Amino acid sequence: MSDHAFRDDVAAYLLGALDERERHDLEDHLAECAECREELQWLRGAADALPRSVEQHEPPPRLRASLLAEVGVEGERERGPGLLERLFSVPRRLTPGIAWSGAAAVLAIGLLGGYGLSQGLSGDEVRTISATAEGNAGGVLTMSGDGEDGAILRVTGLAQPTGGDVYQAWVQRGRTITPEPTFEVGQDGRGAVAVPEDLSGADAVMVTREERGGARAPTSAPLLRVGL
Amino acid sequence: MQLVQDGRPQAFELLYDRHGGAAFSLAYRMVGARNAAEDVTQEAFLSIWRSRLRYEPTRGSVRTWVLGIVHNRAIDALRRHTVHDRRMVPSEGIEEVREAPERTDAEVARRQEAASVRSAIGELPDEQSQVIELAYFGGFSHTEIAEMLETPVGTVKGRMRLGLEKLRRSLDAFAPEGYA
Repeated sequence: MSDHAFRDDVAAYLLGALDERERHDLEDHLAECAECREELQWLRGAADALPRSVEQHEPPPRLRASLLAEVGVEGERERGPGLLERLFSVPRRLTPGIAWSGAAAVLAIGLLGGYGLSQGLSGDEVRTISATAEGNAGGVLTMSGDGEDGAILRVTGLAQPTGGDVYQAWVQRGRTITPEPTFEVGQDGRGAVAVPEDLSGADAVMVTREERGGARAPTSAPLLRVGL
Repeated sequence: MQLVQDGRPQAFELLYDRHGGAAFSLAYRMVGARNAAEDVTQEAFLSIWRSRLRYEPTRGSVRTWVLGIVHNRAIDALRRHTVHDRRMVPSEGIEEVREAPERTDAEVARRQEAASVRSAIGELPDEQSQVIELAYFGGFSHTEIAEMLETPVGTVKGRMRLGLEKLRRSLDAFAPEGYA
């Protein structure tokens, strides 16, 4: 084991406890000192085990749905504009009721990770409904049937919030507004969020800007609203 | 992982299904609130997707890489808040958290591994496990821990080293091939 001045810093480094300057100093030292590199490698086995020690909990399904929707959108974007991109490029402020069918619906279902739209494969109509929004913002809600399995909301033209804020979806039923997942948008103002709630009988899906972690009730007027 | 690096969302879905539970559990352990843990996990996996080409198999397992990114994101989240908001919340006794059902052999193995590592940590002297937990799970620097415990910085760093060394030896004894 190493026994010089940096010896104790190796453990603190692996635990993320060094400040930036100390970290850089140690990394410079590691580049030259085989003994400390060996110490680092050996102790890494213990540090890497720490995250595996925690009680295991199941993440909520909405997290998976939201994440896969976002990755699906980004994956499609990386491959360039295709059929899906054109399908999703619905102009703002259109009236509800644009129906999809056949291959287009199947493609969307695959890209969106299967969440909420799987019934479309068994015959329910897959619907897209455009949002009304302020400024350059826009959005399209995609769901099957009456949204019993939830929906995917895809937004465009939303500015990236500053100060660590995020966007949050909401479902409105009369005077009751239910919080839904938070989400972020890319530099191009595009983003997606899964709304896992049963939307049958709901009046609208809305989006507000909230502090990270989300809110229990909207703290500002909706930036975007999809009337159901 | 190669398919993820090729930019295939379906492969990323499998990656999430395999490591999402461990990632969320780590995030929850660190930030102590379900919504914040969801945000951290989401940010981490988006970061994984966007930086997928940086993964190098020679530098460790996919799980270690994923959990490392979750850890960094959780630290960022902790540091966005003031020190008095940062807290260590035990996993037990929090009503809003639902225990994961043991549905697969992999999940059972993960729980057994967690129990074994916890047992090894539990064997450390309190002053060593304390500084390790404050640093790794609490996101505190060694100087912050020294102030908190009113203990010299050198002593804190020494306890970290002694604790990790002992933990490493315990893990070697438990599963010599598992943590090398």
